[in-house]
Amino acid sequence: MITKLDQMFDALKSKPKKRLIGAYAVDSHTIGAINQAVEMGIIEATLVGDEEIIKKVCAEHGYNLNNFTLVHEPNDQKAALKSAEIINNGGGDLIMKGLLSTDKYMRAILHKEKGLMKPGAVLSHVTVIESPNYHKLIICGDVAVIPEPDLKLKLAITNYLIKTAQALGIETPKVAIIGPSEQVLPKLSSSLDATILSKMGERGQIKNAIVEGPLAIDLAIDKESAEIKGIDNPVVGDADCLVFPNICAGNVFYKTMTKLAKCELGAMVTGAKVPAILSSRGDSVMTKLYSIALSALTAK
Amino acid sequence: MQQIKTLDALVAHVKATGTRKKIAVAYAQDANTIGAIGRAVAEGLVEAVMVGDRAEIIAQAQLQGVDASSFEIVHIPDEVASTAEAVRMVKQDEADILMKGLVGTDKFLRAVLNKEKGLLPPKAVMSYVCAIEVPKYHKLLFVTDTAVLPYPDLKQKLAMIDYSVKMARRFGIEKPKVALLGASEKMSSGFHYAQDYAVICKMADRGQIKDCIIDGPLDLFLACDKASVEIKGVKTPIDGDADVLVFPSLEACNTFYKGLMLFGGGELGGLIQGTTKPVVVMSRSESPASKYYCIALSCLMA
Repeated sequence: MITKLDQMFDALKSKPKKRLIGAYAVDSHTIGAINQAVEMGIIEATLVGDEEIIKKVCAEHGYNLNNFTLVHEPNDQKAALKSAEIINNGGGDLIMKGLLSTDKYMRAILHKEKGLMKPGAVLSHVTVIESPNYHKLIICGDVAVIPEPDLKLKLAITNYLIKTAQALGIETPKVAIIGPSEQVLPKLSSSLDATILSKMGERGQIKNAIVEGPLAIDLAIDKESAEIKGIDNPVVGDADCLVFPNICAGNVFYKTMTKLAKCELGAMVTGAKVPAILSSRGDSVMTKLYSIALSALTAK
Repeated sequence: MQQIKTLDALVAHVKATGTRKKIAVAYAQDANTIGAIGRAVAEGLVEAVMVGDRAEIIAQAQLQGVDASSFEIVHIPDEVASTAEAVRMVKQDEADILMKGLVGTDKFLRAVLNKEKGLLPPKAVMSYVCAIEVPKYHKLLFVTDTAVLPYPDLKQKLAMIDYSVKMARRFGIEKPKVALLGASEKMSSGFHYAQDYAVICKMADRGQIKDCIIDGPLDLFLACDKASVEIKGVKTPIDGDADVLVFPSLEACNTFYKGLMLFGGGELGGLIQGTTKPVVVMSRSESPASKYYCIALSCLMA
């Protein structure tokens, strides 16, 4: 079981290497992270973009061109679609956003004929956070893609988090459905959804996990808080996965964890045929590497 | 207290308390009502005040072989006025229990529900709970709602649970097992009641519902048959040993109880719930034994 983000690197080294496709990977931030990941031996990589620019950036920063396969496509949108095409043809296992807007990147993934979606699938964002104040990783969602998940979408999010936890070696993850209180508040729809997910878990309709909610976040991650409130179940104080009631709650949580509590994280978009990395230039090099490692670990 | 396990034990328990409750009967001039009250009075279960047309009451009593001097008669020949008087007597503690006689159910309930003069507290949910005895089940079943709420919402379901748990506890069942019934134990988005059940279970889990063990959705087999629980491998604290059955709709519950009465050799005692004092409303087609049990139940709950 992986309890620290850097343990993902070791886990990957003993496995066949996954092939990352960098969509319009023409900037030093993206190429730098991919270069480092290749040199660490955790992935193989193809960069799709303007060959001239890629070569120039590599020369400027001392990245070894031999670390990559290059596919020339100078237009950013076309480069993203080309990346999807490579994956659809069996030439890649995960995709990473380069120097194009998130809009264009997602448009390529969501493209009806040329994209990476399976029929009926839902895209969601999974974040894995390491905190020095918690005894294991926190796998949470959705902090970035689904704004106001209804019950059906929360079920999809829950299952994605469970799958991610399993890829990290947690056989039966403990899932907390987060709300403002552990009490059932009939006027709060998220509180009601939490009870339904909890019951679905109990009835075996959510497999390979222990699902419990609603739980306030303090109870989910701190046993003492649960004891004070008199709540005793296998999830309290020991949650692996946190399902947030909406994007606002999730987004504030992960940004507080990274910026205020100085935690590291890895993240990906899941639900497409392959994991998709959505990192931004503002992310640290380590965040990019962790995101690559997380995607590689969960890739089929 | 010793647990009351049969309807006859309920009668024995009420008699053994030694205090006789007073029952006020609204428009008490039909054979059915007078027959049931006559027996209850003769056997020392209750005292009765019959409100209605004095001559009619005495004539019906004679026809039923009931001693009309065994109860008090208040002569108010009008249907609505006699009902209002019976309700007033109960509300002002001159009687402990209200019972419907020949008055139409709608007129009777209108008097009970009257904001100033009635017996239902503001915002209270009115519901109905039956204690049913069937030869094929090892104990009494408390069943709700057979008669009042067509499609109970979450708040109404919570009230139904509260009432039936309180009734079961009066029978000496300290922590009744409450089964929330559906067609399957699985959660399904097509069944809205199941979502309410999940909410209710979690509320019980969190201590927001007390004094009982709750699970649902469960089908009737999982609620009342241990063998089915084993075959299906469903983990449920009810474990085929339910005391209380909460149904998702009136038509399901009504059909269930009538099925037991018709084909299952069942008997029942039933009572309106939510009122400040017990209110007895019996269907004319109920067996004489069940009518008697209804009165006994009202004494227990008074």
